[in-house]
Amino acid sequence: MASVLDRTKQALDGFERHEIRINGISTVVYSAGTGEPLVYLHGSGTFTGFGFAQQWIKTHRVIIPYHPGYGESGDDSRIESIHDYVLHYLDLFDALGLERINLVGSSLGGWIASEIAIVQPQRLSRLVLVSPGGLMIKGMPSTDLFSVPPKDLAGYLVVDPAVLAPFMPEGHDIEFMTLRYRETTSSARLIWERPGNPKLDQWLHRVAVSTLLLWGEGDRVKPLAQADTWLRLLPHARLEVMKGVGHLPLDEQPAAAAEIVLNFLKEKPGAARAAAHITKKAS
Amino acid sequence: MPILPDTEFLAWHFMPYYDLPENIDDYESLWVDFPNKHFDPKKGHEYYERYLSELVLADKLGFDGVCINEHHNTPYSLMPIPSILAGALIPQTKGKICVMGTPAGLDHPHRLAESYAMLDVMSGGRMEFAFPLGTPMEYWSSNVNPVTARERQREALEVIMKMWTQEGPISHSGRFYNYRYLNMWPRPYQQPHPPVYLVGSGSPGTIELAAEMGFGYSSTFSPIASQLAAQKTLKERAAHYGHTIRPAQVPIVCMCYIGDDDESALAEMEPHVRYFFTTLTRAGRFIDAPGYLSMDEFQKRNGRMLPSSHGGAFDWAQIRQQFRVVAGTAKTVADSIEKWAEEAQTSRVIFQIHRGNMPHWKVVRTITGLANDVIPMLKERRRLADAELSVAAE
Repeated sequence: MASVLDRTKQALDGFERHEIRINGISTVVYSAGTGEPLVYLHGSGTFTGFGFAQQWIKTHRVIIPYHPGYGESGDDSRIESIHDYVLHYLDLFDALGLERINLVGSSLGGWIASEIAIVQPQRLSRLVLVSPGGLMIKGMPSTDLFSVPPKDLAGYLVVDPAVLAPFMPEGHDIEFMTLRYRETTSSARLIWERPGNPKLDQWLHRVAVSTLLLWGEGDRVKPLAQADTWLRLLPHARLEVMKGVGHLPLDEQPAAAAEIVLNFLKEKPGAARAAAHITKKAS
Repeated sequence: MPILPDTEFLAWHFMPYYDLPENIDDYESLWVDFPNKHFDPKKGHEYYERYLSELVLADKLGFDGVCINEHHNTPYSLMPIPSILAGALIPQTKGKICVMGTPAGLDHPHRLAESYAMLDVMSGGRMEFAFPLGTPMEYWSSNVNPVTARERQREALEVIMKMWTQEGPISHSGRFYNYRYLNMWPRPYQQPHPPVYLVGSGSPGTIELAAEMGFGYSSTFSPIASQLAAQKTLKERAAHYGHTIRPAQVPIVCMCYIGDDDESALAEMEPHVRYFFTTLTRAGRFIDAPGYLSMDEFQKRNGRMLPSSHGGAFDWAQIRQQFRVVAGTAKTVADSIEKWAEEAQTSRVIFQIHRGNMPHWKVVRTITGLANDVIPMLKERRRLADAELSVAAE
């Protein structure tokens, strides 16, 4: 029986699929394009595919791995902490011979990306954090997605639920349900007891790399106000806010969001810092 | 066939709180997030007085024991900490008390081992303990990760059994727990330890664990056929680990009601069973917790979490077919019990003596009828069969 996931897979038409064993975990990586490497780390749901990445392949060698326990990569119950994800990715980058990369991460992927940046800042040319998770900010809590009733979930993720409609199943789609159950399980393994890293703020000063924070103005999962804390803690960051967008800028306005990322990657060194103040005022 | 020799009969209470708002059907779930403003402490006090008195009555009338269990954040059960109720029952009863019980991984295992040992010593060795994994709802109501619940349960049970059976001080170093000095005071009254069961809904992992540890096993809310299959698997797998499962280790659970005749009894019982299945068990989306099921199990169930009996449209005929439900005269009830006990080859019968919103008088009538008529009838049939056998042998 056909599953709506066929549509998810179509989003990466033209990408090459590689399956690499990393420390025993079957890790699926999609790649396309030439140029400086751009690694994209996805969020806690992969069902919308990564169609926005098509825009990056004209100028970059785009590399999209699935996390262990998500999408097409294998499960491994030993991957249970953020530290495990970081080390898994350092292993993967080594295996792919990626010495220096642009790293883009969204939501959960943004958390992983920021932790990688803390451990190996010298490995990154640029860092992009799209509505990142990980920080636990007193008085400014993130929405716990486990607590959101499934029928309300789309309204939390995006401003216009129609954006997700093409990727939602019609009727009983066991393939889709199994993917969601797996990914939710993997996320719970990581964040059921604690929704982030309470010590992330202690170490973000190590991110000695030009950083772009990309946020949807209408983010109901990671409220935009959280961006101020990131800006304060990251030494070289600026913020871009997208109007009419929620927690998934790259899915909600793929063309515009992907372009903002590209423009940032093209900026001359030092520009980020100067722009920070302007953007902050504008928001 | 009559019941097995030395068959024991126990009374199990669920202790629900059923003074619920009139618009109760507007709530998708009566578990986890059902507002606790609907709990009135004064009524709660009356419920405890009443429910404890019903279990004490069962004990006084000659049941072999009473059973209590544990749930959280729900009017389905007023027993978040069943050990406290066991402590209240000890001085008022003479028979066994089965706490069925606290999920081993939801408490600190050393404290659970201690609470249970205290109860065993206080009661002079009348305790039995059953360990559930805990429903998904219990994980929503705690900070314990449902994804690793099974591994944690296994290690917690290991800690408890070590504490009960090995001379202290001992230590334990595992994935979830690290103890430098386990050295319990008091130690359990029953040696080497009180009887232990696992209870579940037929998950292969739980049956395997019971088999490996030589524990009893019982599943409550799975259809009779799958309960029997589970017990068959338990016996086979236990043999593999070198354990022999005795008839007392595979209890059956029956919903019973005694009335003047079969027809009126069935009619008198129905609304309470209906209330139980359509209202009290309704748990909405909390019926699953992330990672509570293995991926294999999720796919085997085709993504569906519960038997159709729970929280959906009420089908009285189907429920009576699926589970051990009987209402009627003492003879009708005894006939059913005899049949069920025989097919399960068990010597342990647990009666759910209260169901849903059943009022006190109906419960008293059922307890009285079971104790004064049904149980003696079952024992008498056994005695007669033995007498016939010995006559035939002479």
